Amino acid sequence: MYRFITFLKWFPVAVIACLLAGCASSDGDEVILRVCNWEEFIDEGNWDDDEAIDIDGHEVIMGEEPMYKEFEDWYYEKYNVKVKVYYSCFGTNEDMYNQLTIGDKFDLVCPSEYMMMKLKNEGKLEEFSDEFFDVYDENNYYARGLSPYIKNVFEENKVGGEPWSRYFAGYMWGTTGIVFNTAKVKAEDARHWDILRDRDYYRTVTVKNDVRDSYFAALAILKADMLRSEKFISSPDYSERLAEEMNDTDEKVVDRVGDILQDIKDNSYSFETDSGKADMAAGKVDVSYQWSGDASYIMEVAGENSVNLNYIVPDECGNLWFDGWVMLKDGIDGDAAKKHAAQAFINYISRPDNVVRNMYYIGYTSVISGGDDDTVFDYMDWHYGTDETEDTIDYDLTYFFAEDGSDKNYTVRAKKGSEYGSLGAQYPDLNTIKRCAVMDNFDEEAYERINRMWINVRCINIKDIF
Amino acid sequence: MKKYFSRRYLCIPYCIFLIFFVVLPVIVIFYYAVTNGEGEFTLNNLSAFFSSGYAIGTLLYSIAIAFTVTVVCLLLAYPVAYILAKGGIRKNNVLLLLFITPMWINFTLRITALKEVLTAIEGNIAYYPFINTIIGMTYDFLPFMILPLYTTITKIDNTFSEAAQDLGADSVKVFFRITLPLSVPGIISGVMMVFLPAMTNYVILDMLYNSTFIMGSLIGSYFSAYDWHNGSMISIILLFIILAANFVTDRFADGNAGKGRAIL
Repeated sequence: MYRFITFLKWFPVAVIACLLAGCASSDGDEVILRVCNWEEFIDEGNWDDDEAIDIDGHEVIMGEEPMYKEFEDWYYEKYNVKVKVYYSCFGTNEDMYNQLTIGDKFDLVCPSEYMMMKLKNEGKLEEFSDEFFDVYDENNYYARGLSPYIKNVFEENKVGGEPWSRYFAGYMWGTTGIVFNTAKVKAEDARHWDILRDRDYYRTVTVKNDVRDSYFAALAILKADMLRSEKFISSPDYSERLAEEMNDTDEKVVDRVGDILQDIKDNSYSFETDSGKADMAAGKVDVSYQWSGDASYIMEVAGENSVNLNYIVPDECGNLWFDGWVMLKDGIDGDAAKKHAAQAFINYISRPDNVVRNMYYIGYTSVISGGDDDTVFDYMDWHYGTDETEDTIDYDLTYFFAEDGSDKNYTVRAKKGSEYGSLGAQYPDLNTIKRCAVMDNFDEEAYERINRMWINVRCINIKDIF
Repeated sequence: MKKYFSRRYLCIPYCIFLIFFVVLPVIVIFYYAVTNGEGEFTLNNLSAFFSSGYAIGTLLYSIAIAFTVTVVCLLLAYPVAYILAKGGIRKNNVLLLLFITPMWINFTLRITALKEVLTAIEGNIAYYPFINTIIGMTYDFLPFMILPLYTTITKIDNTFSEAAQDLGADSVKVFFRITLPLSVPGIISGVMMVFLPAMTNYVILDMLYNSTFIMGSLIGSYFSAYDWHNGSMISIILLFIILAANFVTDRFADGNAGKGRAIL
């Protein structure tokens, strides 16, 4: 009995000691890589045989193991170094940031562009090494395969005076816009953000329960007249001015945006984080504010239930967003082997066949066009292209796929209407892209103001009770 | 040998659990509640809450929801518990099980199913936010009301009612003069177990639709905006409201409440 009691007494201590030892153990020659990614944002493998992607002229693409597991083997094969990936997930950028605040350590995380800016401004990001950008190294799939369009965006946009690309390696990208049921909603209405507070669609609209997304839409409603005016659109510095207008956080503007959001709340079915996808596909709602990747997913699911949905980036403007990889100084901690493995991880998931696997699995659009490898384009053509000759459109995506200086033409012959379907959602055409703006990270003062407004919008004002 | 053993040792695992997962978090929450971003002591978070019409409005609305849910739960649960305990039905344990079993199904599943049912009945559930909130929460919390009531009522000594009947009371009078007063501890523990979650459990609302804000959602929205200080302060304010309610009901129940509550 006594021995048992002693055991009881020391058991918790032993457990804690084991846990601590477990966390700290890192064998001398094994590199530990702690990766934190969005939930369901990488191919987890385990595909059925009939899911195999067999494109003419390419090897069959198939997901068997989770990609981060396969990376361990690949890395050992290429560099003869053992690496162990600890893979974990987060739900929102803010959750991930909070995790970092309470002391969780990661080497590689996948924030959105505004969170990347916040982390960079706080000095938490490790810069990519020069060898990561060496296009002559055949294992550098990222540098070799990055779409010239995306590359340009990552060079032009600055964070703390430096181009994004020094700290931020793109992964997935897209736009925001309106998904709507073509049987119940006039396409003309969906061309305006104002549809979110249009009483014709009373209680059949879902809106993202996210301060940035909702602020963006309401701001576009507030400035709609200007944003749609011929004079504004044809001005020579249209893109810069658009970005400026859509990053307006002036106090008076925030107040007026708050009023618009109040209208939207009173008109909407719900502010949602995830349920909007199912509600839309099931036909509970007719209009939904969505990210392009989710939009493409919903449209395919709804198509199976023979509900016809379309996706449009409203005429005023859309939000251009990027999710990408950053290395954290705290995690890497000056360890060259670790940094090498982290960069290799980005390269591995940027290999064209892996890009296809991820795009198939999660439904979002990769920033990788493949460089001189046409796998990604061929996959898209295989997925969306048609052999029919009538009722087709030629959808031109040269801007995304063609290397600088190349005169190769990347056009998909697709069914008419697919520019408003998944194809258009996954790969916006050049006209749509032109009216999209990147939304910067709000500075602290603006963030506090906007967030207070956003909480107040969702609260119940005591004046409305009495 | 016996000298080394004390029953107190058996508390050790629980005490460790308590310290790590109850006491420490409360201390952390309290620390955040009374500090600002720079770590300085401040009561601004407290005054910010009580000077905001939006926060108070949400508090009142949450209380209204919680109150309605509790009353509805009580009205539904009492007859059930009474019949189960007193109805003379044989194998009433099996019946009780039937009422409690749904609780074992994961609640997210149940709420998803409820959403479909409500949609089928109402068409568009967004038209009736208040009623749906009440239905959703009642559905989820009803077992927490039935169990303590059932346990308390079964324990009431039958000889009391028999004595009352011998003295000429009819069954209505017996119920109101004997059974009901003796089941007050059960009522109180049931009320306490339903009222607080009904004020804060916003997951149910999120899953039905997201636009009704209650106290839990308010706390959550501060946390997701990295504002741990205001969020913590609101948690503490809620804690005090519950403590105060507990204190009042304890007095009311003449110290008997503890017995009923002990079962859950």
